[in-house]
Amino acid sequence: MPSANIYRPIKTQVLDIFPETPNIKTLRLKPVEPIPFKTGQFIELTVPGVGEGPFTPSSRPSVADVIEVTIMKVGKVTAKIHELKPGDIVGLRGPFGQGYPLDEFKGREIVVIGGGCGFAPIRSLMYSFFDMSGQFKKIFFRGGCKTSKDFLYRNELEEWTKRSDLNVELTVDKGDSDWNHKVGVVPTILDSVDMDYAQGFAVVCGPPIMMKFTTKKLLEMGFKENNIFLSMEKNMSCGIGKCGHCRIGTYYGCKDGPVFRYDKIKNFPEIWD
Amino acid sequence: MEKSLFLNKHNLQPFLSGIAADYAVYVPVRKGKHRFFKKYTGTTDEVVIGEVRPFEPLKAFFSRAKEIVAKGFEDTIPHATDKPFAIVGVKACDLKGFKVQDFVFKDQGFKDPFYIKNREENLIIGADCTCAIDTCYCLALGVKPYPQEDFDINLSQIEEGFVVKVGSSKGEAVVKKNASLFEEASEGQLMEKENQRARVHLEVEENIKKNNVPSQELFGGIIERNYKSEIWADEAKTCVECGACNTICPTCHCFLLFDQRDEKQMARFRIWDSCMIKEFARVAGGANPRPKLWMRLRNRFEKKFDFFPKVSNVYACTGCGRCITACPAKIDIRKVLRRLVNNA
Ligand code: SF4
Ligand code: SF4
Ligand code: FES
Repeated sequence: MPSANIYRPIKTQVLDIFPETPNIKTLRLKPVEPIPFKTGQFIELTVPGVGEGPFTPSSRPSVADVIEVTIMKVGKVTAKIHELKPGDIVGLRGPFGQGYPLDEFKGREIVVIGGGCGFAPIRSLMYSFFDMSGQFKKIFFRGGCKTSKDFLYRNELEEWTKRSDLNVELTVDKGDSDWNHKVGVVPTILDSVDMDYAQGFAVVCGPPIMMKFTTKKLLEMGFKENNIFLSMEKNMSCGIGKCGHCRIGTYYGCKDGPVFRYDKIKNFPEIWD
Repeated sequence: MEKSLFLNKHNLQPFLSGIAADYAVYVPVRKGKHRFFKKYTGTTDEVVIGEVRPFEPLKAFFSRAKEIVAKGFEDTIPHATDKPFAIVGVKACDLKGFKVQDFVFKDQGFKDPFYIKNREENLIIGADCTCAIDTCYCLALGVKPYPQEDFDINLSQIEEGFVVKVGSSKGEAVVKKNASLFEEASEGQLMEKENQRARVHLEVEENIKKNNVPSQELFGGIIERNYKSEIWADEAKTCVECGACNTICPTCHCFLLFDQRDEKQMARFRIWDSCMIKEFARVAGGANPRPKLWMRLRNRFEKKFDFFPKVSNVYACTGCGRCITACPAKIDIRKVLRRLVNNA
């Protein structure tokens, strides 16, 4: 049931907390009312008495009563989130924004590209693909981070490399003894994506600079502008297109995004800033 | 044609007192050079129904500068239990602000229950401007200096009192309740009202001519065309990032949700925010798409003269001139618009 008061959070219990990297944790959350979301939509997480922040769930959208979010410690609210313990009470609002058009992806070839903390929303998308396994022509996954230590869900990713319905390649900017995949920036592992680019879809999620160069590369490869999906990170407060903080050109990141087709935003200045 | 009513000036006080039974009545009161909305105290001695718009924008009666929007996890609408507001003497430029505020909070996407409640319950008694001040340029934005829509009742001040027009069923009910105070307006009174409107219209026209303010017909593409122009940096030179231009503006709607620092008693406030402030668009990770003041000044104009016309077919400026008076840096929106329009 959507709440009449669009600003109040739904009471939520922290079930579990898993450290992913030294400054990233995944929280399992159970709201008292289920929050069914579409993969790619985001929620606002409240730490009582501290504040609120937007996060894209990293869990299976088909599970509505428990939501997982993967959160990097970058500011005041996220620092508090990192101090939470199982059993603590937080708040959730949402889901907000537009998800990925999964129906449109059916029967097609898709490459999913993640960088840095951008893996979180993409994990949720990959779960959707796994849940709908067989309904897509082919799925490629390409992931990159600075070093092997920065990888989120490393064990899961290693599992994915073994799946027959998925073609996976991983890269780091700087290799080390713990790394047996590729070395180089993300665009360098895209050449091995063997598909009909003009008909395919690309989903990109990561730091702005990574998205910028990846998009450039995808366009050179022949992907259509409206088949490239980008996750735009903007300052958000309300999450519902009212507070004005997240404007991108004639859109609001919260309401019309956070996932945008490249052709929708390409003419706006400032998109990579 | 519907009949126009007349309210004798001696009946203003009983009329306002009548309204005060059901509403918290606010009236414009003159103080020095400016007019301010003040709570009606039972006397009309200092009340100025005519003249021009008050110092503060009307929007404050519809979303407060700081108000509580959530308490704990309760799905309730925390609200002052007070009576709704009756705002008296509202000018046409402020009413145009609704074109923007309604779009944001009421007509599109998620509905804001606080705004909608105020919009439904508040009573708006508009009034014709009876003069213009130097900063008035409403006509350039297609706004006439007298209310034409979005009021419950409108008062056109003339010598002996007010020609009254009812604009909604809510207004109708209020007039009916106080029916004994009104009489039918005479031909002469109606003529007096029209003459006055024409006179003030002319005053604003002359203002616009004198200050060389471009008309909105020339605004198409001014932001895109001037995106990389030097004008922004040049105009922003003196800006001190106070945000007054935003808070004073009847169309600016941006806010911040802010949680009270108390883990026992969770309370969420909504406070007006300003896009001129550096942190406005900065993300938690630190990246800021608009680190420079001139980029934020450009953003303010982009929102008003590019975003809103594209998403809602309205320029988010009413020509009220408040930001000109409020800006400590003397940044004059009329001059900025002129430079943008002229820089072909
Ligand atoms: S931009 Fe300035 S003149 Fe225009 S409506 Fe806002 S305060 Fe009034
Ligand atoms: S009122 Fe003037 S000085 Fe203050 S932020 Fe606006 S433009 Fe800058
Ligand atoms: S977060 Fe408030 S408008 Fe997008």
